[in-house]
Amino acid sequence: MTRFLLKRIGQAVVVIFFVTVIVFLLLHSVPGGPAHGILGPKASPQAIAEFNREHGFDKSLVQQYWAYLNELFHGDLGESYTLNQSVASLIGQRIPKTLVLTGLSTLVALAVAIPLGVWQARRRKGLADYAVTTVVFVGYATPVFFLALVLVIVFTQKTQLLPPQAPQTQSIAGLFADSRALILPVLAGAIATIAAFSRYMRSAVLDNLAEDYVRTARAKGASERRVVWLHIMRNSLTPIVAMLGYYLPVLFSGALVIESVFNYPGMGLLFWNAAQTSDYPILLGAVLVIALATVIGSLLADIVQALIDPRVRGTIK
Amino acid sequence: MSDQPPTLAIEDLSVTFGSGHRTVRAVDGVSVTVAPGEIVAVVGESGSGKSVTSMSTLGLLPPTAKVGGTVRVGGVDVTTLDGPRLRAVRGAEVAMVFQEPMTALNPAFTVGWQVAEALRLHTDLSRKQALDRAVELLEMVGIRDASRRLGQFPHELSGGLRQRVVIAMAIACEPKVLIADEATTALDVTVQAEILDLLRDLRTKFGMAMLVITHNMGVVADIADRVVVMYQGKVVEQAPVDDLFARPEADYTKRLLAAVPRLAPGERRDREAPEKETAALSLENLVVEFRGKGGSRVRAVDDVTLTIAEGEVLGLVGESGSGKSTVGRAAIGLVKPASGTVRLLGESLGEARGRALRRLRRHCGIVFQDPASSLDPRMTVGDCVAEPLVINGVGDRTERVVALLKSVELDPALRLRHPHELSGGQRQRVGIARALALDPRLVIADEPTSALDVSVQAAVLEVFLELQERLGFACLFITHDLAVVGRVSDRVAVMNQGRLVEVGARDDVLFDSQEEYTRRLVTSAPVPDPTEQRRRRAERHRL
Repeated sequence: MTRFLLKRIGQAVVVIFFVTVIVFLLLHSVPGGPAHGILGPKASPQAIAEFNREHGFDKSLVQQYWAYLNELFHGDLGESYTLNQSVASLIGQRIPKTLVLTGLSTLVALAVAIPLGVWQARRRKGLADYAVTTVVFVGYATPVFFLALVLVIVFTQKTQLLPPQAPQTQSIAGLFADSRALILPVLAGAIATIAAFSRYMRSAVLDNLAEDYVRTARAKGASERRVVWLHIMRNSLTPIVAMLGYYLPVLFSGALVIESVFNYPGMGLLFWNAAQTSDYPILLGAVLVIALATVIGSLLADIVQALIDPRVRGTIK
Repeated sequence: MSDQPPTLAIEDLSVTFGSGHRTVRAVDGVSVTVAPGEIVAVVGESGSGKSVTSMSTLGLLPPTAKVGGTVRVGGVDVTTLDGPRLRAVRGAEVAMVFQEPMTALNPAFTVGWQVAEALRLHTDLSRKQALDRAVELLEMVGIRDASRRLGQFPHELSGGLRQRVVIAMAIACEPKVLIADEATTALDVTVQAEILDLLRDLRTKFGMAMLVITHNMGVVADIADRVVVMYQGKVVEQAPVDDLFARPEADYTKRLLAAVPRLAPGERRDREAPEKETAALSLENLVVEFRGKGGSRVRAVDDVTLTIAEGEVLGLVGESGSGKSTVGRAAIGLVKPASGTVRLLGESLGEARGRALRRLRRHCGIVFQDPASSLDPRMTVGDCVAEPLVINGVGDRTERVVALLKSVELDPALRLRHPHELSGGQRQRVGIARALALDPRLVIADEPTSALDVSVQAAVLEVFLELQERLGFACLFITHDLAVVGRVSDRVAVMNQGRLVEVGARDDVLFDSQEEYTRRLVTSAPVPDPTEQRRRRAERHRL
């Protein structure tokens, strides 16, 4: 297990190294170079040369990359062109909030999707299964912005049960203090995820229901509930965990659409605004963070899978 | 024995699936009784309803099945029970051992947990007590080092050990009835013999009534006191085991027994082995390696030297993992040897490249084990057979395909059908026709009849041997079934753990071997004759 961990972490480090190279090269392929990006298209050649010298852009690519890596190691992702703040602090402020939103949506989604998938699998091809499948597909197919708007109309305009805007606060505690305002964004995020995960769960449970070990468990005298929630569950969670691992970057990158509909101050909104103002350091910083989350997510998924499935554990000694 | 009231009494059982005019009657008026301490075998080919019968005794049939008649266990009709009362019977009164021990155990839990679960479902033992008892049970079924095995997962055990675990689980609550549904079918013969011994011991120890479901007449002869023969959902004959084999009454039983290949000196093809100088295939010091766990190398084939003369049939036998199939694949260059040489018709396969290699392969045909998966489901039968002709640019194909189908005794009209519309036996005939399409001088047949029922197997073997006689191709016949090898081979080679144990004339190897492994293998293979089987069992126990 230790060897497996070291090997996987080693692989992750190599992948991250390549990610930094790509991000670095992207930064330099901005049309006209970074100077144009910051000083604008009308900048004079002297101003550009001055800017390049000041920021070290006149050195060789290798030297620049080395400087870039060095800054990265010190947590320096550069300065935002437009917000007069370091990218690291911007991302640092936004990530916890995004994680609250996406994490809560995912938890809600899993709490609904896993039992729903199991419930459907046991009623396969029954009326209830078809009905739920229809609803789930509609949920899956509806664009998120439309879904969010429907929620806003129903819960804030028609019934006025909930506030239409997410909590506007700087602190995490503030988010939870105004928890009613969190409900709609979390719900909007959860619905599409429920659709995806419940389908996965349904098919995983269906596959396992046909397995011989289920017959063995029944022949032992295990109750249907025990068969499903103990014997089948352990085996059905593996694909869900794998999915979750690849879902981790989504948790970090935030729900762009939902954040803009509900004006939620998270990563997605930051990214969206940066894209509109050509604020490249923010965009690339965000790309780097999301890439890191992707690598770590798949690593975590592998480890959790090994914990659930002894056969995976056996092969990774 | 039969004076006591039966522990298990199945009366007039009928099971139907589906509804309306698409009803399938899987079991039709079956009555079987098993007395305490008695072993009753239910035999039949696929589709005879034997497994459905066994499932119905535990109420394990899918909800779509309609069950009529009664299944009494110790006087209680199981078919009327539901919910908790049925579960109280399952595992405690009637327990079951299944065919495929790998899939019968839950891969996500340790074997100790699974054995303990059987106990905890029916007793109020604590977790600790149940695990302690599980150790005892594992020891009882002959697992050494049981306390260490307790913490292992099913995939860490061999097939034989897994089946022992399943049996330990089944006997955990000392059930009155033990049902073994093809419990030894997936196992090697030597392991099968041990498991049959174990079942016999347990019967003596606990006095359980045992219902053994099998298609293997050798297993029946080995273990049964009484035999029930099923055919198309009905019982065609019931008799004590000696009577059934000595004086079968029903026509079906007679046909079934006649179709079973027997391992005996006289049971062979009536022909002289060809004596030709040239070798169709010669392997010299063949070594094949695969990459194993953590980059280590596993020798699947270790220093094997073999020759097959033109027109000769060499039977290659061995248990699973012995490397016999790998030898077959290496022989036509499907796997690359790590060292050693393969010569096809005198030319070295290792040096042949591209066109030369394809030209050499033209002289080889191959027949695989499972005809259902080795024929492309989207191609018609005709296209499957014609494919080697197309690849090698042979014209005049329709006529050739018709002739080939006729030669394997199939209606040429079948060439327009798809493989799934054919029966298993028909599909394997198509596989043979395809292998013979290019008039090969060497045919590799890898377990060609292992997936077939005995009566179908007999017919397919007959066709194959007739063609071999007529066309005179050499054949490497790979199988685990010693009786089949005895039937078809001129010479026999035995493999064990990648190495060639011995190779020689058929009778010398099968009936007069000096090698201990071969003798153990031969005596482990059950023969369809109760008296002879008792003698062989005694002989095996002496080895």
